Amino acid sequence: MSDFAGMEDLLQDFLIEAGDLLSGVDNKLVDLERNPNDLHLLNEIFRGFHTIKGGAGFLNAAELVTLCHLTENLFDKLRTGELKVGPEMLDVILGATAAVRSMFGDLERGLQPAAAEAQLLEQLKQALAGTLSSAPAPAKPVAAPAPAPVASVPAVSSGGNDPDWNAYYHAVTGVTPAGEGGLPEIPVTATAEDPHLNETVAAEIIQAAVGRRSTDKPGYQGPPGGRREGERQRDNSIRVDTSRLDQVLNLSGEIGLTKNRLTALRSDILNGKNDTDTLHALDLAVSQLDLLVSDLQNAVMKTRMQPVGRLFQKYPRIARDLARSLGKDVEMMLAGEDTEIDKTMIEDLSDPIIHLIRNAVDHGIELQAERMSCGKPEKSIVRLEARQEGDHIVIVVADDGRGMSAERLRAKALEKGLISDEEANTMDERQSFNLIFLPGFSTASTVSDVSGRGVGMDVVRTNIQKLNGSIEIKSVLGKGTEFVISLPLTLAILPVLLVCLEDQPFAVPLSMVREILPIEPKEVQELGGRATMVVRGEVLPIVTLAALLGWPQERVPEYGVLMQSAEQSFVLAIDSFAGREDAVIKSLDDFRPKGVAGVTTLSNGQIVLILDMKELLGGMGEQKVATRAQLLLEHRQIAAAA
Amino acid sequence: MSDPKMKFLVVDDFSTMRRIVRNLLKELGYTNVDEAEDGVVAMQKLTAGGFDFVVTDWNMPNMTGIELLKAIRANAQLSHLPVLMITAEAKKENIIEAAQAGASGYIVKPFTAATLSEKLGKIFEKMGK
Repeated sequence: MSDFAGMEDLLQDFLIEAGDLLSGVDNKLVDLERNPNDLHLLNEIFRGFHTIKGGAGFLNAAELVTLCHLTENLFDKLRTGELKVGPEMLDVILGATAAVRSMFGDLERGLQPAAAEAQLLEQLKQALAGTLSSAPAPAKPVAAPAPAPVASVPAVSSGGNDPDWNAYYHAVTGVTPAGEGGLPEIPVTATAEDPHLNETVAAEIIQAAVGRRSTDKPGYQGPPGGRREGERQRDNSIRVDTSRLDQVLNLSGEIGLTKNRLTALRSDILNGKNDTDTLHALDLAVSQLDLLVSDLQNAVMKTRMQPVGRLFQKYPRIARDLARSLGKDVEMMLAGEDTEIDKTMIEDLSDPIIHLIRNAVDHGIELQAERMSCGKPEKSIVRLEARQEGDHIVIVVADDGRGMSAERLRAKALEKGLISDEEANTMDERQSFNLIFLPGFSTASTVSDVSGRGVGMDVVRTNIQKLNGSIEIKSVLGKGTEFVISLPLTLAILPVLLVCLEDQPFAVPLSMVREILPIEPKEVQELGGRATMVVRGEVLPIVTLAALLGWPQERVPEYGVLMQSAEQSFVLAIDSFAGREDAVIKSLDDFRPKGVAGVTTLSNGQIVLILDMKELLGGMGEQKVATRAQLLLEHRQIAAAA
Repeated sequence: MSDPKMKFLVVDDFSTMRRIVRNLLKELGYTNVDEAEDGVVAMQKLTAGGFDFVVTDWNMPNMTGIELLKAIRANAQLSHLPVLMITAEAKKENIIEAAQAGASGYIVKPFTAATLSEKLGKIFEKMGK
């Protein structure tokens, strides 16, 4: 089935390394557009294609070699100054990188790639000969659907640089898109009212840049499920710095030595030798083991850490292409690419970040004319930044666009029936911004079949929450919007606070805990039928853990844990504490009770449930917030007094 | 001259390519292979000693293969080392440049174990004389 029998390992290595290389090339191409004469950039891009070509040769991927060879020759002429980079040429080159990526996709599925589109090769040859026409035909081979359906479409016209998406769309789906006819003109004229990205265009751009999912299209002839297999294989390998592996090896060796020491001490003790020196040595060995194990945990965790730059690399190209299709001038600024993050998270973050960037370019950034009239620079900046803050990784996607209006968001949510009048009136700015995360919310004023369906932001938030992360919005009207994603360093170890209800401990994620305070009955007030407490001027509802779990409440809770999540803050009323711990999460494979994220084992061997507060609160509504009387069990006190 | 224990240094910035060359050498019975990712690292390893043969790519960042070749030839301690240049180009001027700089052999990508064996054989032959 595979064209690469016996070479699978080599192929995987090649795909990972060459894939990184290609993302780097894509990025440099975006830079090149701004500095067309940068010799260093030209050299680097040349070398990128050259290296890919060399590797492809060993895989006998003749068509990939041909394509890279042509592109490489073009860059050879560019770096020697024989040719100059022009917009048309850049389009052809970007088309070539997309084609290379699509060939990587074929390789990933174990197929020998077919020749690149004749048109693209022709254009490359024309560019090489210096006879590239000033109005090239579409140069996005990846975006083009399979040949058969296209051929059946009468006269797919190609106006300007953009392929006729509607015709393609029609060819693929047999449906005329709702925004019919409007799309190809939008980028050029920019006169249409509030133009936004057509889903199809955006999806094509993202696919071209990410280089997957080509199999989702009709006409794909590979074996069903082949892509998945390939992807799984690919996802399963990881590149680790050898020095990190050495460290793991080193530590495990030391642990072995300490274990030997402990074994010796055990026989001593069993033989009745329990003088102070022996016990002291035991104490020393155990503390050393303690230290070594936590070092080993850290070292193993580090082998899973990858620089986030790998993920960031592909975004400038996406931003550029999206911006161009909307007639906007957007520059993407990357920062903190060296920040390291767990590999699984990198993969799961990819889609949410693409969505945020897309959102920033599409909705955040104003049209050129609007920016000018506000006195803003023509070029807008989308900033993507990663940094480590304590035991968290923070990723920021920020734009300098129009910002969000809390009032408009509330009106929109009200109109869609997502919130009630009363809710709208009591919402502060932060809560209003968070409305965009509601399923079914979309601010696009025109809703068509293909865009503005209101899916997206809620999925973004769900995906981030799945990673135990949170997302926050900061926005200033007229200045811009900032999405701040905060993620734990690793998913394997979760710092938790152990809280007790009666004698039963439960673990809650420490990341949500802001502070712990005693609950004084005299400080509990009732507001609108709910028990509340004032903490530093903020009125917070009190939720009892017993009510959340559906347990009967037998005692007046002594302590409150101030919990904070993206949506709200509240005081969780509990009976007592058992301390804090770094929990190693074990998930419950087939059985997942609502509100339980997993289980962990305490140092004394006891098994404890880790609570998923968001899920528990999700079903909360009003009824779980106790009244003051319920909370303080006043009826019982009265009964007792009588 | 051909000793299976001889130590090779494979220089390439693309780790997949280093692995390919390493595997081909292994097929030919040479298992004592070290790697370097560019000319600068290669020079550090070479000056530390112990190498008998250098196989280097041409196009690399920091220090290219041809620069590495020139540096080896200019270093009294290393100048005797055989250097096999690997490149994707079969251009005449490149071959001449490599020959003038003192390359022991020149091999064009992609190549098989048989081609590599033939090139190595020729180099050993020349050295034996």
